[in-house]
Amino acid sequence: MNALKKFHAIFRGRKLATAGLIWLCIVAFAAIAAPLIAPFDPLEIDPVARLSEPGTPYLFGTDHFGRDSFSRAIYGARMAVMIGLGSVFVALGTGGLIGMLSAYFTRLGHVLMRGVDVLMAFPALLLALVLMTLLERSATNTIIVIGIVYATTTARILFGMTLKLKGEVFVDAAICSGAGHGSILFRHILPNLISPLLVQASFIFAFAQLQAAALDFLGLGLPPEVPSWGNMLSEERIYVTRAPWLLIFPGALIILSVFSMNLVGDAMRDSIDPRFKDDIAGV
Amino acid sequence: MALLDVTDLEIAVAAGGKLLPVVRGVSFEVEESETLGIVGESGCGKSLTSLAIMGLLEGSQVRLTGGSIRFDGRELTTLSPKERRAIMGDQMAMIFQEPMTSLNPVYRIGDQITETLRQHRDMTRGQARDRAVELLDLVRIPEPSRRIDSFPHQMSGGQRQRVMIAMALSCDPKLLIADEPTTALDVTVQKEVLDLMADLQTRMGAAIVLISHDLGVIAETCDKVAVMYRGKIAEAASASDLFKNMSHPYTRGLMNSIPVVDHDVEWLEAIPGRVPTIDEVLPGCAFHPRCKIAETRCSAEDPAAREMAKGHEVRCHFAGKGAA
Repeated sequence: MNALKKFHAIFRGRKLATAGLIWLCIVAFAAIAAPLIAPFDPLEIDPVARLSEPGTPYLFGTDHFGRDSFSRAIYGARMAVMIGLGSVFVALGTGGLIGMLSAYFTRLGHVLMRGVDVLMAFPALLLALVLMTLLERSATNTIIVIGIVYATTTARILFGMTLKLKGEVFVDAAICSGAGHGSILFRHILPNLISPLLVQASFIFAFAQLQAAALDFLGLGLPPEVPSWGNMLSEERIYVTRAPWLLIFPGALIILSVFSMNLVGDAMRDSIDPRFKDDIAGV
Repeated sequence: MALLDVTDLEIAVAAGGKLLPVVRGVSFEVEESETLGIVGESGCGKSLTSLAIMGLLEGSQVRLTGGSIRFDGRELTTLSPKERRAIMGDQMAMIFQEPMTSLNPVYRIGDQITETLRQHRDMTRGQARDRAVELLDLVRIPEPSRRIDSFPHQMSGGQRQRVMIAMALSCDPKLLIADEPTTALDVTVQKEVLDLMADLQTRMGAAIVLISHDLGVIAETCDKVAVMYRGKIAEAASASDLFKNMSHPYTRGLMNSIPVVDHDVEWLEAIPGRVPTIDEVLPGCAFHPRCKIAETRCSAEDPAAREMAKGHEVRCHFAGKGAA
């Protein structure tokens, strides 16, 4: 009940964010209920109907194997949500913890942050490629790799913010009231980091989609038979002139989901941080 | 035995590989339910002294280099972090200068008070909340049962400082350290907060160390006063003694720089010069470059503390002579 009220408070008056949320809900629903919604098996091949145009019964047309693009897109939502959430979880969990601990325990920080520096010396995609070549192609490994790539930036951001918060008077006040390290880090500092964490989460969720698509496209992400939006783009790219809808639909799905995630992230940040509360409830 | 007994406290700042002393041999005692005022200009070491008592120096470039701090018979400088945490917030508490930043902006004020309570007392959430409402009422926050769910940014500076006082008093501490508690507040609110503190002290019987640069505030609230200059106590006495018989030229200088309402003066007398920076090496009395009555002896020989009357100590070669 209380959560519902909060939810209402976040999205009231924010039309674009509400639209974004609705879209994300649709994606989430498609992800959960994929076997029920999808009219065809995403792996079923119909050679007679290959590269058919969008219409009935193939809503988004068929690819060069004659697989139903709409069904594949729906199963692709499943991968998108899984990889997005998984990467956010890995990146914020490891990166956030490294950043906070490094800032709080300065000596440990010298060691940990140098490790982060080394990882950051690689361009994101290159690092992902290197790690993926060492690992097997699978959804779990894709999540871990993308998570690690974005853990570095998360660690950096949280390192700086924690360092700043550590010097705040309310932290001294907490020490003076007898709070221990754990309580100071997780009860006093962490709640102040929620808004940057949320922004970071929406950013990572969004970029994980792009990164995963890029990995799929280069043949290093999910196994090729897995229906994901990135794999769809990758496999059908040579048909861009003959059957552009095969690229337009998954491409549009990626863009819409990334954009929606950013809108929702912004709305959540504005309302969770009490300092933003009195601002005009725009967007 | 005194409740708080600070002896020969030495604090230094690490800069450029050297340790520069900023507090040099400060000693004072605070008895139970007594109020000690520490006065001095910015940079004289008064805040560092208070931070050292609360153990907040650790981890920064500022270091405790000597001396002892005994609280209620226990040596604080050698306590383990765990033992210290058990005392802090429970038996000793601190109020900070900046009420705008000393409350966590993302917590409701009630949660911040109950956290301290639940840390030190075996209380359920409900009991702690009831106690928090009582405390807010005690510090005269109107409608405490409603305001307990406010965020700090929804309150005024004076109200936030009251909340800080409520937090500090939540576990009935024996010692309260207040570092310039009213400096950031406007004058009328300042008076209210000081009255509140004085009132609560008589009711709860906590000893207070009040740090301030405002002699007026000190005169109004303190039993004992220590005047600090450049890391040393220049003059220490009971408040009544000190204001009757100021013996150190620095104390007199501070007093003369306060406007008096019923005297019509053209110019206020300021102390010339400024507090020397911490890396300046000054032989002799640290105050001599700014002192009106300084003689050659003052730049050569550091005056030892002399007892003028019982409990009235002064570090000046000419204490009591030649009133300026």
